[in-house]
Amino acid sequence: MSEDEAVRLSTPSAPDVGMLGGLRVLDLAGDSLAYAGRVLVELGADVILIEPPGGCAARRHPPLVTMTTGATVSAFFAYMAAGKRSVTIDDTAHAGRSLLERLIVDADVVLLPDDVDAIKSRSLDETTLRSLNEGLIVTSLTPFGGNGPKRHWKGSELVAWASSGIMAGMGDPDRPPILPGGGIAQSVSSLNATIGTLLALRSRQRTTRGQLVDISMQEGVLSISLESGPLLALEGRSQARIANKRHIGPAHGLFAVQDGSVEIVAILPRQWDAMAEWIRDELGIEEATLDVFRGSQVSRTQFTELINSWVVELAGRYTKEAFFTEAQRRHIPSGLLNSTADLLHHPQLDAVGGWEEVEYVDAGQFRSPRGPISFDGVAVHVGPVPRAGQDNDEIFRTRLGLSEAEILRLHADGVI
Amino acid sequence: MGEVPAEAPLSDIRVIEIGYGIAAPIACRSLAEFGADVIRVESERRPDSLRTMGAGWLPLGVDNEIRRDTTIGFGFTCPGKRSVGLEIDGTSGQRAFHALIANSDVLVMNMGVEAVEHLHLRYEDLRQVNPRLIYLNMPSFGSAAGPYRTYRTWGSNLSGLAGVTMLAGWPDREPTGIPLSFPDYPSGHWAVIAVLSAILRRDVTGLGCEIDLSQFQVAMACIGPSLTEAAITGTAPQSTGARLPGRAPTGVYPTRETERWVALSVIDEPMWHALCSVEGLELLGLETELDTVEDRLAAHDDLDRVLSRWTSRRTAWEAATELQRAGVAAHPVFDQWDVLADPQLEAREFFRILPSRRFGAELTYGQAVVLSETPAHHERAAPAFGEHTRHVLREVAGLEDDEIESMIVSGEAHEMSQPDLRLERPFLGWIRNIMRLPWPDASVSTADVLYQRYANELLADE
Repeated sequence: MSEDEAVRLSTPSAPDVGMLGGLRVLDLAGDSLAYAGRVLVELGADVILIEPPGGCAARRHPPLVTMTTGATVSAFFAYMAAGKRSVTIDDTAHAGRSLLERLIVDADVVLLPDDVDAIKSRSLDETTLRSLNEGLIVTSLTPFGGNGPKRHWKGSELVAWASSGIMAGMGDPDRPPILPGGGIAQSVSSLNATIGTLLALRSRQRTTRGQLVDISMQEGVLSISLESGPLLALEGRSQARIANKRHIGPAHGLFAVQDGSVEIVAILPRQWDAMAEWIRDELGIEEATLDVFRGSQVSRTQFTELINSWVVELAGRYTKEAFFTEAQRRHIPSGLLNSTADLLHHPQLDAVGGWEEVEYVDAGQFRSPRGPISFDGVAVHVGPVPRAGQDNDEIFRTRLGLSEAEILRLHADGVI
Repeated sequence: MGEVPAEAPLSDIRVIEIGYGIAAPIACRSLAEFGADVIRVESERRPDSLRTMGAGWLPLGVDNEIRRDTTIGFGFTCPGKRSVGLEIDGTSGQRAFHALIANSDVLVMNMGVEAVEHLHLRYEDLRQVNPRLIYLNMPSFGSAAGPYRTYRTWGSNLSGLAGVTMLAGWPDREPTGIPLSFPDYPSGHWAVIAVLSAILRRDVTGLGCEIDLSQFQVAMACIGPSLTEAAITGTAPQSTGARLPGRAPTGVYPTRETERWVALSVIDEPMWHALCSVEGLELLGLETELDTVEDRLAAHDDLDRVLSRWTSRRTAWEAATELQRAGVAAHPVFDQWDVLADPQLEAREFFRILPSRRFGAELTYGQAVVLSETPAHHERAAPAFGEHTRHVLREVAGLEDDEIESMIVSGEAHEMSQPDLRLERPFLGWIRNIMRLPWPDASVSTADVLYQRYANELLADE
């Protein structure tokens, strides 16, 4: 690390600056590493989105939604780009390539785009980029990683789940396997990419050299597969698709409440005892606490139908939030199924500021989930979602030292 | 210990872990594989649930002191660490624990807030012992505030609470959810990110810090785009079975093999044209009413019938390779066995055989974080319970041998049980038939050879 870098990284004691204040990241606007860029924003890095003139494809990533102002935006982009700055550069033009290279010379980290072919055709490979800046950390997230027989294979969120082995155990037995929603494969793989980037930064302090962080989305998903992955196959555990978990055992599984479902897992003897007391207290069914039902779950299995008829009646008296609260009070392991909309007004999130107001420049205000972490009591945060190229002037003038005339000419030539 | 390469990113960092289940243990696993000395402080009174499960093949009645070393999942969460059996709520146990903290850089825990208070593990308690300490805890809902602050959950409960479960399923049926303790994993990843950020800052400022992480909010962050959609529209996005929202065609299609599927996803216009170039699917390109993604979303069921006819005449591999050759994102829907035998994972050396004190050799995953210059190093498998108790209490905590002895006698510290008892995973004898891992001569016992090769070094400083 140069002295200059040490100074840049030394400023972050104020919470506003964040843990990585001064770190310079160029985000080449791929979908896969979009979340890695957001995490670096949350940690205080200066993340600059490099978009083609007119804006990057992620701005149109489905689903498109309509804001209260009438503006149509991508919910994906709104979440992922919050707090990033934006410059527009056509790096296929000579003058544009030169601008990009000047930014790279000065950067700590580059987040590469998704497409392996584009990385090659745009000369964004690690060797080329690090010939401009030996200390640069080049972070790549591709479907299968940078080597091996599938290194050129195309990928997607779906392909990531299919290639990890988890999907085969998901869904209903009478239909094909399904995948989780929400873009989870990209998110966990982006977290791996962030880990690699930070490790490479620490290495650089000793070696002064950067390196390639080469993340495979297949491996990213595989590394979250302990309970349904290959190790369990070797232990003889099957991977059948079992559909939903309604009433899978006595006082175990999903049960209907007035406004949805709750999940009860009263398996251990003391957990059943607490459940039985609740049934007795609330429904007046004294026999629930009889010895014949007590002890191990195995001994209750023959009474599953009877026990679950009580649980159904009990659950039917509650809303899910009220059931969950009472079950927790009684130390009965339980949860409830929230939809994403249920979380918009939620007591726990309200108490900790779990939603963050964000401005989408030119499109209006919206809310998105705040990052899950705090340092010394200060929760992380993001900033506005940028308009494409909104920081051209600032960055080209102050960081690259371009004159106003030069910037105007680049603009007129369609380079920025 | 074996050699940690001096240039490993964390070779100067010592981590104390009080970890249960998956979240904190996998975080510390990554720290260990990138050079940190990770010491797991383990209790018999409050055992890690992964320890208590034991191997599925182990006969009932096997003593718990052996069973706790055999859970295969533990081999996934804890490779490369050292294990100290220590009860930290007794007087000398707490003193020994404080000595470990004083000589460490990082503490990582996933404990409930009430347990943290009960065991005097609050940041205020421990920063007195080590002001430079980087302290991280990750209770289900964070430590800060809120009505759920003291609630206890399992991973599947948290997935349901965070909106993840309802996003997985068929739109016309009840949600299926994910067969994983999903939030544990990204919480572990986030913990590594937070600790590394704090280390980078401490390198410059010298300051320790307290990090608080909410696993509930981690799970939400991972589906941030869906929550943002709900926040903007006021309506929850629906589950979509095997389709990717807003892209078409995407899905999982039958093949000519029984219960074997191929996943196919057209994610942009070039890929649609690529699909239309595949032999047998050229007619799709002539349909002008399929030109835009909106057209194709509207005609998705019809497209599925055409694609299913095509895939049903091929094996999953044939279909996937033919589609990939044209430039379409496709892959067989792998089961667990396919994963073990995948040539791609083999080329990336994803699976590893590591030396183990209890097993001789142990199969585990490699690292999904791949660095070109300072890669993860895989030194040894997960430790037996208390395998390193004496060594660590002497060398790190600075205790005298007679102190350690009396703690073991009084039950405040625990050693590895029956250290000479060697077990072997039943599958290690035949798994070479499907995996092409670097393996020693087949005529000799796998476990013995691997143990000979690696463990002399391992045992040298015991």
